[in-house]
Amino acid sequence: MLQILQDILSGLFETSGLAGLAAEPLKLLMMCISFLFMYLAIVKGFEPLLLLPISFGMFLSNLPAVLPEDMIFHAAYWNEPQSVEWLWKVLHDGGLLDKLYLGVKLQIYPCLIFLGIGTMTDFGPLIANPKSFLLGAAAQGGIFFTFLAAGYMGMSAAECGSIAIIGGADGPTSIYVSSKLLDGADSSLNTGTIALAAYTYMALVPVIQPPIMRLMTTEKERKIKMPQLRTPSKTEKIVFPVVVTLIVALLVPSAASLVGMLMFGNILKESGVAGRLVDTAQNALMNIVTIFLGVSVGATCTASNVANLAFVKVLILGVIAFSLGTACGLGLAKIMNWLSGGKVNPLIGSAGVSAVPMAARISQQEGAKADPTNFLLMHAMGPNVAGVIGSAVAAGVLLSVVNY
Amino acid sequence: MHPLLLANHLIMLAGGIDGNKRPLDGSEIWGVTLVGLGVVIVALAILVILILLFGKIFDQINKNQKEKEAAAAAKKKPKQAPVKKVAAPVQEKPAQKPSTAPTVQTVSAPVSDEDEVIAVISAVVAVMSEQDGKNYRIKSVAKSQRSNGFSGRSAWAMDGRRQNVNPF
Repeated sequence: MLQILQDILSGLFETSGLAGLAAEPLKLLMMCISFLFMYLAIVKGFEPLLLLPISFGMFLSNLPAVLPEDMIFHAAYWNEPQSVEWLWKVLHDGGLLDKLYLGVKLQIYPCLIFLGIGTMTDFGPLIANPKSFLLGAAAQGGIFFTFLAAGYMGMSAAECGSIAIIGGADGPTSIYVSSKLLDGADSSLNTGTIALAAYTYMALVPVIQPPIMRLMTTEKERKIKMPQLRTPSKTEKIVFPVVVTLIVALLVPSAASLVGMLMFGNILKESGVAGRLVDTAQNALMNIVTIFLGVSVGATCTASNVANLAFVKVLILGVIAFSLGTACGLGLAKIMNWLSGGKVNPLIGSAGVSAVPMAARISQQEGAKADPTNFLLMHAMGPNVAGVIGSAVAAGVLLSVVNY
Repeated sequence: MHPLLLANHLIMLAGGIDGNKRPLDGSEIWGVTLVGLGVVIVALAILVILILLFGKIFDQINKNQKEKEAAAAAKKKPKQAPVKKVAAPVQEKPAQKPSTAPTVQTVSAPVSDEDEVIAVISAVVAVMSEQDGKNYRIKSVAKSQRSNGFSGRSAWAMDGRRQNVNPF
């Protein structure tokens, strides 16, 4: 009788989380990291809408389990080549987070998020001052110069592209590119780690950008006041998404999914005839996709994916990419200021990275520090939304140039 | 790097680089960097030109529309003469001369606003006076010529705007 009881208890222990934890002690470390991210999201307010789902997804996937059927997320599934059998296995044997992660792997979530962003974005400042497009383009220098650095560090083309796209400061685009490039690639990187680095740096925009902005501009330049922008007509705002989609699709077809959804959302908003759809896209749909995206991307941050040298490289190159993007935007804005005879405040250049609207707010904040009566927000929103388009175009270029 | 080698690799890029290739050649790395940045700049520069062009076209259309509306309004103007019967409210104030009545009406609103503003300022000064134990006297209330950037914006509007645009 005692032997039977002992066998039952022993069996229970061997299949319990405690045995799983003893077999993989690094899971404990990963859970502690997830707690740190939860702290940053809840207490420090760093991108809580994204960082909290990501950190909780990370916590869930690192819960110790011994039996495969008990696991919420199977990291091993996502290194296998995709096929009909593989898809059946994920749907039949996978945990909840495996099924949710299909939306990332099949590039559904990033495009839906772009749809929501489109319904929330006012391209008015960009239409009023189209030269802002150039600042959005210059800031993408961060992406390509980081590709250069990663290439010389001996990384593969897929890894270089996946890391470099972090410089665009655009979470959905980073997920879109890395999930395509790293699919079946011989790499220790994965979409989860790229997304985690991208969102971490996006949350750290107020920390990373201001020192670079102050370093590259003088007090006199930061005080420059820009004239009020004209108000574009409704017709211009409706024509804009069609023109942008057409031009981008003609030049870089790989970016058509992202830009097309962004502009579809925007035309829904600007047309003024689809109020219910706009309401759904910018609230319910956006929130649902954000939850699914955050929690499933967080789930990919397992010990085997994060506790390695490759992730350290991602973090280092990610911050370089971000800083270079900011510096390139500021550099071009300084040139524009010089060419215009001192009419462009160079601070708006840093908003060319597409962290909307945080980067524009930082430009505003730095301008107001130099002169409290200086309002740069609307001027910075132009390069900021141009950065969204620019990073999507850069993503399209990377997907065209690197075979996956 | 030899320019011809780079050019050759730029042409090769059209076929794409194998994602798993490791390490990449220097010319491939530079090729992706230059082509990538070039394509992004060209794509967005085309958009700049198109949007500028559309802006000019729409501005012209709007200008023409406004001119037409102004011309139409000018034509209708003589028919609007009866509007001058505004003096009618004068009957409510028989003590006043009919000719001055409209003038008094238009001026009275701002004066009332200014009175309220002065009352608020007086109340604030009275509170300050009570707190400090000193006597203050308001000598004049005049509009200040504010510098560029403040123009037409109240302190409340400025503060609200500042709260909205601050990141944290």
